[in-house]
Amino acid sequence: MSATLTVTALSKTYGSGALAVHAVRDVSFATQPGDFIAIVGPSGSGKTTLLAMIGGLLTPSGGSIRVNDREITRLSAAERAAYRRDAVGFVFQANNLIPFLTARENLLIMNEIGSGRRREAAERADRLLDDLGLTSRVGALATELSGGERQRVAIGRALMRDPLLVLVDEPTANLDSEQGERVIRSLIAEVKARDKLGLMVSHDMRMAALADVILEMCDGHLTRQARQEKTPADG
Amino acid sequence: MGLKEIQRRKFQFALIALVVALISYLVLMINGLGIGLNEQAGSALRRLDADALAYAKSSDLSVIRSELSAETIDEISRLDGVSGWAPLGYVGVNTRDSKGDITTAALLGYEPGSIAEPQVTGGRALTGEDQRGLLADAAFLKASGLSVGDRVTVPSRLTDFEFTVVGEIDEGYFFFQPVLYVLLDSWREVKYGSADPSLPVASIALLKGRDLVGRATEAYELVSKNTAFANIEGVQGQQATVNALRVFGFLIGALVVGIFFYVLTMQKVAQIGLLKALGASSAYIFRQLLTQVLAVTVLGVAVSVPLAYATGTVLGRLPKTVPIAFTGDTFVVTSVLIVVTGVIGALFSVRQLARVDPIIALGQQQ
Repeated sequence: MSATLTVTALSKTYGSGALAVHAVRDVSFATQPGDFIAIVGPSGSGKTTLLAMIGGLLTPSGGSIRVNDREITRLSAAERAAYRRDAVGFVFQANNLIPFLTARENLLIMNEIGSGRRREAAERADRLLDDLGLTSRVGALATELSGGERQRVAIGRALMRDPLLVLVDEPTANLDSEQGERVIRSLIAEVKARDKLGLMVSHDMRMAALADVILEMCDGHLTRQARQEKTPADG
Repeated sequence: MGLKEIQRRKFQFALIALVVALISYLVLMINGLGIGLNEQAGSALRRLDADALAYAKSSDLSVIRSELSAETIDEISRLDGVSGWAPLGYVGVNTRDSKGDITTAALLGYEPGSIAEPQVTGGRALTGEDQRGLLADAAFLKASGLSVGDRVTVPSRLTDFEFTVVGEIDEGYFFFQPVLYVLLDSWREVKYGSADPSLPVASIALLKGRDLVGRATEAYELVSKNTAFANIEGVQGQQATVNALRVFGFLIGALVVGIFFYVLTMQKVAQIGLLKALGASSAYIFRQLLTQVLAVTVLGVAVSVPLAYATGTVLGRLPKTVPIAFTGDTFVVTSVLIVVTGVIGALFSVRQLARVDPIIALGQQQ
């Protein structure tokens, strides 16, 4: 199922008074079904904080986040955990996989955390790893995988529970540009093939250029929204 | 996931299990020592066929100081509710074998056919004619190297009393010494030198019957076997020491397991943050921790129990008896307590675990 995301007047402030840090200020945007969005900006611009709030990892100081008309800013801690588990797929920059688990087990962990039949989960994990070109690496421990392979396993894990959103934080930060581009193309292809809404934080404009929409942030403000005519991933 | 981590990090968890096993072994051995010392303190007293024991009132429940006259024994035997009775004499002696080796023993005097008569497991029982015969406990025979038919000398009051071991018994220890049973008259001779009627006829009296415990006059007091046991000189201090060692053993076990898992939790903060970011609840993560604690402590206990049993068996075969004894209960109760204290120790990590913020998966601190 494709999702829509509507962010309205979103803000996040750390501390108070003279020491207050406004990480995100009055950010509003809306997506279209099937969009793959890149959030770009310099360090400290608030892009990761924005992603964390959309992913239910941080509670906003103000504003609203609606995913398919469900307000997620007022969820309790337990409801946010369930939201992250069932509606969001994460791909993090570092410490992305459980090191003592195999590639396949890193996907199956999502089934263990949540619920579902083991057999179906195992079939889904194998299919995802196959789609991501990791068939021969299913039994390899996370520590035995290359940086690119690890990120592709993380993409598979993000898609395991058929989430509404796939949130990606600097997925190519630890990869060389060639590996990075392969991972991003693979990510966009898998997200789009499954009709998910993708949001990726990146400081690398070449990677961001592969997205449908670019959101540019600076000092906590959303300074530019640009829909690209045609993504190279499509072509 | 918790079990998979153990499977994949065998060395790390094997080390923790080894430490648990060593602590568990230590606690089991202390328990075994406690039971063994308890046996030595007075297993023969516990095995007496009596509902109550009569001590001289002035003895303050000391079997060494208790002396009962013929009149007192007669008075006690006629008490309401007494259905059976027997005098029992006690004196601590050194025995000497033909090679001159000394073995200490508790020399008990009894009357054949009375409720004080021990059960013979080898040789034969004493008859009224066996003035110079004795029944020796298996522990005494083991310690002295003597056997049925051998002669043994009991020096007392500058006189050597020659006895022959006519039978073997398995009554254990009385007042930390293996028991030797002789006829009551022989005991009086060893202790007092003659059978003068004015001299005490027994140290204590065994009584069968109902509602006897608690009765007392100026001449005697009647107590249960448990009370008598608890009042054996040194028993309370010894048991308090052993109990303190046991408690410290459990405390150290809980602390060690707790610290191990606390450190492990601290090392895995990033991983816990990742799991929480992926939607895992704190309860799920705690279940993994609990699974690991249970697996490690159960494994540790599973190693220590046969090890302690084997040690007890080897020590039991040594010529010089080390007071270690095990019961099935010791193993079961100690094992369960080690596992429980391990789990309690691991609970130290729960707060830390609950405080991990999933935001750290994004490399941020809230």
